[in-house]
Amino acid sequence: MNEASPARPLPSAAHPRVALRFGWLVLAVLVSAVASLYVGRGDLSDAALGARFMSLRAHRSAVAFLAGAALSVSGVIMQGLFRNPLASPSILGTTAGAQLGGELMLVILYVVLGNLAPAGLSAEMFTPLGCVLGSLASLAVVLLLTPLRASTVSLLLTGFLFSSLFASLSALLKSLVQETWQLTRVLNTLSLGSVSGAGPRQLALAALLVLGALGPAWLWWRELDVLMSGEEEAASLGVDVPRLRVWCVVWTAVLTSGAVAVGASVPFVGLIVPHGLRRVFGEGHRFLMPAAFLGGGLFLLWCDMFCRALPLRNELPLSVLTALIGVPVFLRLLSDLERGGDA
Amino acid sequence: MSGPLLSAEELCVERGGRRVLNGFALAAEGSSISALAGPNGAGKSSALKALAGLLPSRGRLQLFGRDLRALSRRERAHMLAYVPQQSLLQSGIAVREVVRQGRYAHDPVWPGRRPQQPAVEHAMRATDVLELRDRHWNELSGGEQRRVLLARALATEAPIILLDEPTSALDVGHALQFLSLLRELANAGRCIVVVLHDLDQVSRYADHCVLLHRGDMVASGPTREVIAPEPVRAVYGVELVPNGALGYRQTGGGA
Repeated sequence: MNEASPARPLPSAAHPRVALRFGWLVLAVLVSAVASLYVGRGDLSDAALGARFMSLRAHRSAVAFLAGAALSVSGVIMQGLFRNPLASPSILGTTAGAQLGGELMLVILYVVLGNLAPAGLSAEMFTPLGCVLGSLASLAVVLLLTPLRASTVSLLLTGFLFSSLFASLSALLKSLVQETWQLTRVLNTLSLGSVSGAGPRQLALAALLVLGALGPAWLWWRELDVLMSGEEEAASLGVDVPRLRVWCVVWTAVLTSGAVAVGASVPFVGLIVPHGLRRVFGEGHRFLMPAAFLGGGLFLLWCDMFCRALPLRNELPLSVLTALIGVPVFLRLLSDLERGGDA
Repeated sequence: MSGPLLSAEELCVERGGRRVLNGFALAAEGSSISALAGPNGAGKSSALKALAGLLPSRGRLQLFGRDLRALSRRERAHMLAYVPQQSLLQSGIAVREVVRQGRYAHDPVWPGRRPQQPAVEHAMRATDVLELRDRHWNELSGGEQRRVLLARALATEAPIILLDEPTSALDVGHALQFLSLLRELANAGRCIVVVLHDLDQVSRYADHCVLLHRGDMVASGPTREVIAPEPVRAVYGVELVPNGALGYRQTGGGA
């Protein structure tokens, strides 16, 4: 051991390899985006109709990409904050809050306003706005009931409690309006997850929330890296852990509300995509977060294309497909953790 | 500065409604090793964490003459580094990234391209972990992890280093090598405060010692006065037999 040795620069081969992997990921996104325009049951041979189909699919694909990206990045943040690869964006209760907010707005629109939106408000934006408001309201409740200096476990338990409460209220709402079959159908579609109705307004909203939160969330990568050593060590190295906790929760709420608002209330994306990407991009958040953005977007884009391509009378709901993929992957993740292996 | 770099007076810590440290005092200076010793449950680790500002405590606590509790986390990290007994890090990140964490408080608040970090390389050379730099943390042995944690603490360039039982999981060779490194760091001007179980190690390497028992300070002062028959009997209930046990010293080859 010699403290007096002269320092010389250390070679690093990691960054060129990472750049190459990002290159492949971007290429996959671009190819998939173009391919997604040609997947579906509409006939593209008619020029006018074809252009309309292409426009609808472009919006739908872009929304699916942004929603997947939001859920995946949220997963990375939550797993970093709770230092647990099994943490998902929904554990804070903000996803259930967004869902409840959207459903509540739908009920208000149908039952109270008679499907007539107030002047200056578009009816199709009622649900997305409800989701955003619901997510922010649940975030406020969770933060108010979890003091700044409380432990991460308290935050986790508070989130879990409110997630259960919002899910129960959501079920109550559905049971109250079950006589109105049309409204019940819309509510079920919202909870099953679908981006089929996405248009330019939904795309603008998703882009605003997701892209607006992504940059600020990424700025916390160094703190999340240091937090891998635990809260005590992170604090000793200079990290303001309570502040980090609050901002992680805020950005996760905004990101997930962006996804739920456009109909992508789908499970497992925030769990399995970061899990897979850690094996390729490593565990450092500097690269993992942008990789999760691209990878999560790509995953949901593929899921949406698959749902469109299946020859069924009704489209397969997104949440069903992500659950069918997510459950075996999650079980594998659990098994890795049980063995103490690289999860 | 003259005087102690880290000082505590009447420091009290309560955990779970129980007082685990009562009236602790320390005045740790540069170029010295201060050891905290005592039996299990004596309050050594609580005292160390309180000194690092990681546990809520009452009493006077000063870092370079300033109230430690009034300093921000970043300011504290510039002056004081803490090495835990065992890190909670379980990740497969590269050793160089673990050591680089020590520079967190020095990095610009607005993250961008990180500046070259000669302190990181210097710390890795000083602790002989340079060859491990591309290995993953979770592939290292316990002894290697200890050296990497010390490298991370050195990378902070903090003049005060607090270590919690750094030799507890090391074999005798690595333990002596580690303590010799601490001595080199102290000789180079650093202030070292270390929790040690082994009284032989305390006698060999520490300049000052605080002997704790059930949260109370039993003795404090120069090591040869504290690790003496009377205080040791009072705390451990054993007779101190000078040179009565197996003795070790480092050979030129190292561990």
